[in-house]
Amino acid sequence: MAGANHSRNASQIRSRANDSDNDSVLGAVIDTRQIEAFGRKVTATASHLMSDAASTPHYSGALTSIQRSMRRPHMQRSVLSFTQQAPTELVRSKISTSEIAHRAVAFISDEQLHNIPETEHTYSLFQGFQASLPDIDENEHRKGHRRRGQKLLGAGPDIDEDGPPNLVKLKKRRNQTNHRLEMMGIRKNLCSSEIREIDNKIANLNSMRRIVLDRLAGLEAEEVEVGQEILQLDNQIEDMTEEEAVRALAESTTTLEPGQMTPPATDDAMDASFMSESIYEKLPSVKSPKSPKNKKRPSYVKRKSMPVLHEHLEPGSNIRTLPAHNDVVTAIDFDAPFGTMVTASLDDTVRVWDLNLGRCMGFLEGHTASVRCLQVEDNIVATGSQDATIRLWDISRAKYEPFEHNVHTEDDGLGFGNEGEDEIPPPHPDAMEDCHFMTLEAHVAEVTAIHLRGDTLVSGSADKTLRQWDMVKGRCVQTLDVLWAAAQASASHSLGTTGDTDWKPTTRGADANYDFVGALQVFDAALACGTADGMVRLWDLRSGQVHRSLVGHTGAVTCLQFDDVHLVTGSADRSIRIWDLRTGTIADAFAYDNPITSMMFDTRHIVAAAGEDIVKVYDKTDGRHWDLGAGAKLTVEDNMEGKTASTVGKVRLKDGFLVEGRRSGEIGCWTC
Amino acid sequence: MGSNLPYAADAESPLRPAELQVLRAQYEKEGDYVGVQTKFNYAWGLIKSSERSEQQLGVQLLSDIFKTTPERRRECLYYLALGNYKLGNYAEARRYNELLLEKEPGNLQSQSLRTLIDDKVSREGMMGLAIAGGVAVAAGVLGGFMMRSARANR
Repeated sequence: MAGANHSRNASQIRSRANDSDNDSVLGAVIDTRQIEAFGRKVTATASHLMSDAASTPHYSGALTSIQRSMRRPHMQRSVLSFTQQAPTELVRSKISTSEIAHRAVAFISDEQLHNIPETEHTYSLFQGFQASLPDIDENEHRKGHRRRGQKLLGAGPDIDEDGPPNLVKLKKRRNQTNHRLEMMGIRKNLCSSEIREIDNKIANLNSMRRIVLDRLAGLEAEEVEVGQEILQLDNQIEDMTEEEAVRALAESTTTLEPGQMTPPATDDAMDASFMSESIYEKLPSVKSPKSPKNKKRPSYVKRKSMPVLHEHLEPGSNIRTLPAHNDVVTAIDFDAPFGTMVTASLDDTVRVWDLNLGRCMGFLEGHTASVRCLQVEDNIVATGSQDATIRLWDISRAKYEPFEHNVHTEDDGLGFGNEGEDEIPPPHPDAMEDCHFMTLEAHVAEVTAIHLRGDTLVSGSADKTLRQWDMVKGRCVQTLDVLWAAAQASASHSLGTTGDTDWKPTTRGADANYDFVGALQVFDAALACGTADGMVRLWDLRSGQVHRSLVGHTGAVTCLQFDDVHLVTGSADRSIRIWDLRTGTIADAFAYDNPITSMMFDTRHIVAAAGEDIVKVYDKTDGRHWDLGAGAKLTVEDNMEGKTASTVGKVRLKDGFLVEGRRSGEIGCWTC
Repeated sequence: MGSNLPYAADAESPLRPAELQVLRAQYEKEGDYVGVQTKFNYAWGLIKSSERSEQQLGVQLLSDIFKTTPERRRECLYYLALGNYKLGNYAEARRYNELLLEKEPGNLQSQSLRTLIDDKVSREGMMGLAIAGGVAVAAGVLGGFMMRSARANR
């Protein structure tokens, strides 16, 4: 009954406790009355002792005031109960630092206290606690129980003999088992609600990730804009200083000016003699004051910041698909993720793309036949063509303004990027006219492979030679005859003087369907080339000799790439082989269903195009094979409807950013 | 929910170290993504302990649950009150308990906890006052003697 009263009003209790003699609430180990009595005694004794001191009015005043307050137990008790804090608690909370820290951590603001939603749960936290705690000795219990159960079965007849005690036992056990059943119910609830909780958390984290990803995307877009602004400003500054210089020059040497300045400005299609004496890096600064058009448009320069967005997208997600060409894509390369991409196709165009915006920046025009191979290195693009020439281009000289939006109406049936969004203007027809700066002519048949590193360019041609070029002077500095090297090797083999043991050039002729030089790569003085006879030869450019041949492929080598440890080759024999460069042996190999047409690897993946509508991806870290690309996204229904994706012919991969070119002319960008 | 709350006496019986260790292991295993139930189990185990530092940790975990899981707030109030009562933080304990009683006037466990808190506070209050009074008197006596001796010297 007292409890019911308590619940009604807290203050009522307090007053009741104070007023009545019923001190049950106060518990009373030390009765309050006793304290009062003690207080009175003490004061009385003190005043007696101080009787002589009573003449000092201040002291006696203080004493009487104490005495007075001591005589009022009600007041004193109510003071204590209203503070609601025991003195020890007060002392502790004000003095001990660990206590203060604890209070700060455990403190709950009033706002939170008042925000208590009404929710029903299938089980209370305490039930959950009770349900999880018995786990500790559950095992022993259960074991014991089972043993008892067995005993029970074995002693079946005994039960009948003495019924009543066993019945009690059994009932008891039934109750126990019922209890366990209940507990299990609670535990099941516990698990399912925990799973729900985790699901919620996952959903929450996913949405958070999306938000942050959006933020990252926004930042990258902003970064690009800011980068463009910087470029623009840089260009303006450069132009200003050049104008100043020109003016100063004009003022000082007025008579000499025309003679000095004309030679570099002869024409746009520069002849070889001009090229041979000019150094390509210096060209822009010489040229720019002479072409006033350049001042109006900011030239395109490689972006300074490093995009990271694609690294956070799920592997295999499509970034962009460009309807780039009308015909089979023959070659692709790009400099960096979201950088500049160059594509070549059998439709005889070479296009330059801004991967960040998915826009065509312009055309590289000059070759008289299709481009078979190309490479983008910083601002330099090298293209090798069926017309047996190699052309070099400097994209930084392109007139390209990423954010201009004046719409030209030029209809050639091809998109220039994201159609359907706000119309992206087609590139300026002569946007790339200043880019070409060098033509390398020496090959007598189509150029099928090219590789550029630093100042060294190597090319492989259907004339069965490899050539090494000096990019500064624009001249061929070395010609490597593959057939001669092969003959040498076989000759010396017959004499038994080389380590190239199993090679017999006569047994396997070059496959006519594939390029004689399928792929090559240069690094410093090391050159690797893969040829149609299935051989991979490692050359030393200093001696011009083959110092090792890797034998193994049974079909033409179509693609090749090496790093400091491994050389990876893809071949028409449908296999990809990973060679150990130090030992010259095969470290790993795997095969697909069709001839490999293109392959590239980065630190984590080996990607290959193998005559399917998908890109084959091999994860080097966990050895997993998976498919990527438009074909991998097609469902059974799509196949029923006859929707197909075009065969992937070429792949390029850099830092987890993958670009694939299809036979339909489409280009897909993916994360990998 | 009322029937599913432990009485204050339950909080006074510490778990066996092995039991507490199981709860702690579970709590630590779940790491950053610890579930509410696991957290509560550990917190309640800690509050039942007789070590003051463990009790404090328990209360901190509970206030964590309170802050992060609104749907468990009402339940948490009682445990917070109980934990703070064990710690001797009667003001906090009363703050939580009164709030809970406001929401659930018929909660028996909460009612008994209130009685316990009131009891403790006034008992400690009396003792404190007695001590304070004693100190004051002693000071008075001492002062008196000094005054007297000072006068005698004069």
